[in-house]
Parts: sequence; C-alpha cells; structure tokens
Amino acid sequence: MTPRDEIQLVGGLLDLPILDCEGRYCGIVDDIELADESGAPRVSALLVGPGAYRGRLPRWAFALVRRIVGAHVTRVPWSAVKTIASAVELDRSAGELGLDRFEQRAERLLPHRGAL
Amino acid sequence: MNPLELMLGILTAVGGFVDVSELVFAAQAGSGFGYALIWVFAFSTIGIMVFGEMSGRVAAVAQQPVFNLMRHRLGLGLGLVTLIASILSNLITCAAEVGGAAIILHLLTGASTALMALAMTAVLVGSIWVLPFKWIERAYGLLGLVMIVFAVALVKIDPPWAAIAGGFVPQVPQGLSVRELTRFAYFGVAIVSAVMFPYEVYFYSSGGIEDEWGVKDLAVNRLTCIVGFGLGSLLAITILSSSAQLFGPLHIDPQLPGSAALEVELPMGRTGLLLALLGMLFAISGAAIETCLANAYGIAQFFGWKWGRRKKPWDAPRFTLTWIILFVLALAIVLTGIDVMRLVEFAVLFSILVLPLTYLPLLLLASDRRFMRTHRNGWIANGLGWGYFVVILVAALAAVPLFILTSGGQA
Repeated sequence: MTPRDEIQLVGGLLDLPILDCEGRYCGIVDDIELADESGAPRVSALLVGPGAYRGRLPRWAFALVRRIVGAHVTRVPWSAVKTIASAVELDRSAGELGLDRFEQRAERLLPHRGAL
Repeated sequence: MNPLELMLGILTAVGGFVDVSELVFAAQAGSGFGYALIWVFAFSTIGIMVFGEMSGRVAAVAQQPVFNLMRHRLGLGLGLVTLIASILSNLITCAAEVGGAAIILHLLTGASTALMALAMTAVLVGSIWVLPFKWIERAYGLLGLVMIVFAVALVKIDPPWAAIAGGFVPQVPQGLSVRELTRFAYFGVAIVSAVMFPYEVYFYSSGGIEDEWGVKDLAVNRLTCIVGFGLGSLLAITILSSSAQLFGPLHIDPQLPGSAALEVELPMGRTGLLLALLGMLFAISGAAIETCLANAYGIAQFFGWKWGRRKKPWDAPRFTLTWIILFVLALAIVLTGIDVMRLVEFAVLFSILVLPLTYLPLLLLASDRRFMRTHRNGWIANGLGWGYFVVILVAALAAVPLFILTSGGQA
C-alpha cells in the first residue's frame, strides 16, 4: 500500500512500527496529523514520541508518562512515507527526520568494542 | 531446509526448554502427587507448541515480531498495560533464574549465593555483549542438553513405566483431602504457567526475526516447536517421574532448585550429581538470558527502537542499555536476600496473570488476513488456540485464590 491509496487510519496506520530508508526501526506511529485542505481532511504527518500520547491515554497516565520520559514529539511529513504494510517504510533516513536523537544519545554511553 | 540447521534448532529448543520453575515444580509435583500431574505437563506442552508455532509464523510471514504488532492490534492503552505486566512478570522470572543459577553455583563451589549471583550476572551480561544472537541461542541451548542425564538416571532406576504412561491420562488422584486437592490444583496451574511462560513466545518470535526467518522457514518453525518443545517437555517429565519414585515414598519435599540433582546422584553417584548440576546451571542460565532479552525485545519493539543482538550492541543502543539495566535490576532483587523459592512462586503467579494478555493479541494477529495472507490460522490452529485461551483464562482467574489458600503450594 502506498500513501496515495485509501487507508484506514486506526486499523491500518496507527501504532505501526516505522522503518527508515535503510530498514532501521525509528519509532512508532504514535498519532496522525490531519490538515484540512478545502474541506477535505488529509493526512499531513505522522507524529512520533510520547508527547503524541496526549489524548490517547487517560490524563493521569499521560502525566505519569510525561514525568518519566518527557513529552517530545517528532513530526514526520506524509511525503516521507514510501509504503505501508506491517510497518511504515520511509524514503528518508532517521537522521534526516530527527528520529535518531535518543539512539545517538544512548550510543554515546556504550563502549564500541568487544562484540563479535 | 538444511537438515543440520534443523537438527541444531531442535536440539537448541530441547536444551532451552527447562527453566528453574519447571525444575522446582516438576520435582515437587512428583514427590507430592506421584505421576498424577504428568498430564498437565503434556497438556501445557501442546499449548506452548500451538502458541510458539503461531508466534514464529507471524514473525516469518509478517516480518514483524509479536510485540510490534501487538500494540497495533491492542491500541496504546491496553498495549501499555500488557507491556507493564509483561515487564514485571519477565523481570521476576529473570530474577528467579539468576537466583536459581546462583544456588547451583553455590552448591558447586561453596561460595556465597550473593557472590555467585553477582558472578553469574557478569557472565550473562558478558555473553550477550560478546556473542551474536545465534551463538548465544545455540551455546546455552546445546549446553542445556546435559540435562539428558536426568533421563539416563530415570532409566537406571527402572521406574514402573506403565504407571508413568498412565500419568499422561488426565486425572485427579482419588482420596485426597480438600486441602490436598487445593494444592493439587495449585500445582496444576503453576505447571501450566511454568510451561507456557509469556517470555517464551516473545523470545521465540524475536529470535525468528534475529535468525532472518521468512516464509521458507515455516516448516522449520513447525518442526522446532513440535519436536523441540515435545522432547524438552519429556525432560521435565523425567524429573517429575524420578522425584515420584525416589522422593515421594520418603515424603521428601524437594523445595530447592538444587534438590532435583539428587535424583541423578542416587543412581549415578558423584559424576551424575556433577553432570546434573551442570545441566541445570546451563539450562537456568539460558532461561535467564531468554527472560532478560525477551523483556528488552518487548520494550524496544513497543517503542519502535532499533533492537536485536544480530547487530553489534552499540548499533541498537537503547535496546542494549535496556537489557543491561534489566539484568542489574534482576540481580538487585536477588541481592535483597529474598528466598529464591518465593521468587519462583511469584514468577509463576505473575506469568499466569499475564498469559491471557499475551496470547489474545497473538491469536488475533495469526488469524489476520492483512498480515498473514494465506498463512493465517487454519481451523486446527484457531480451534486449539481459542481452546487453550479459555483454559489459561480460567487458570489465571484461579491462580490468586489458589496461591493464597495453599500459601504458595506449601505442603
């Protein structure tokens, strides 16, 4: 399925894993942004990050999540989506879209030796 | 299908089947109720074959592990509840495995259990850091095959084979008091939980992705589940049978993980004892790695992080930090000095409560035409799957009252 096909937003897109153009996991479709273009709402972006849980979780649960991991959201423009199946494939790299900040931060904490 | 790969996969499944809970509950069940609980082992083994096969098939066909798709199927709220419940269940199980391995090392070396738990954790963390997935899986699985010494010991004591065969027929022993019947039911539920631990399907399906399974591997998946889990379960049944033959008549309640090794020492002497302890050590260590990785897989997949040990640890950094932290937490639980047997009981109790949440989305996913196309569940897999789902739902509802009534299965 491509971004131009008709898509069930909840059944066929929400909460699917996202892979970048190199096949690396780089998030989950945590929410979907819609834009109203001349009365016909269209998907404009995927929202990735715990900040997008707002409205999807009970208020107390979201407050707890925000306290533990923050409320950052990364916006992935719909134009970056290549295909949609059991995962959403992007045609750009995670780095270009700002989806790899936390992986990079974690990577700096680890030594880069000793593994086969 | 490469026959050598298939054989190695099956042997790995056999060696990796038994964990500390199965060891303890098999030995206690045999001592307390003779052969009367063998059928529960056999029944639960068919259950884990059914759900294991489904999880491997989902991984091979949808090319996504179960936890990734589970969130999509359950939604964020219920998915988060399942994640938190499985984190707790897997963490307690991992702590029980680390504690169990530390007790075995203590028996082998005489050093303190706390020191051995520390050493064990360092070795396990080091193994995952150094070895890629296939080596970890194979090394611990194949070393766990030393557990076959339990089967040799059973043959040596020449038990009443007809009585053991009779144990495969579903039964409730006659003439038990209400108290004993309640304990029998508790052991039944505990065995279902220990054989069908949720971590097993998370680990198995993620392992399928780590091993780069595709549709061509569906036959390997099916054979590994049926033959590997079947033979692994027979090993657990030999522990139960030896215990029924040796401990039951003497009214010995083998409560410690190390007690089961005496089943081998009696017919085979010191060498047998050493082999039994080593086999148990490898099997429990393998289970500790599986529980920890299964937990890290679940967390990483739920949030869409890079994951897997087919990559270098620094190429999936959040996943790597997660499994290291989980091992440290499991060690911290053991170092509080909590009795390992209590940990085993809690692990089994938490797991049975999580089982329905684990298996429901798996059933839905494996039947989903969009993801599974022509490989979705047929009527046999669906019938067995839903049948077992009802059983684990009933077992989950009964688990807490039975745990309280029997004080965790105490005699």
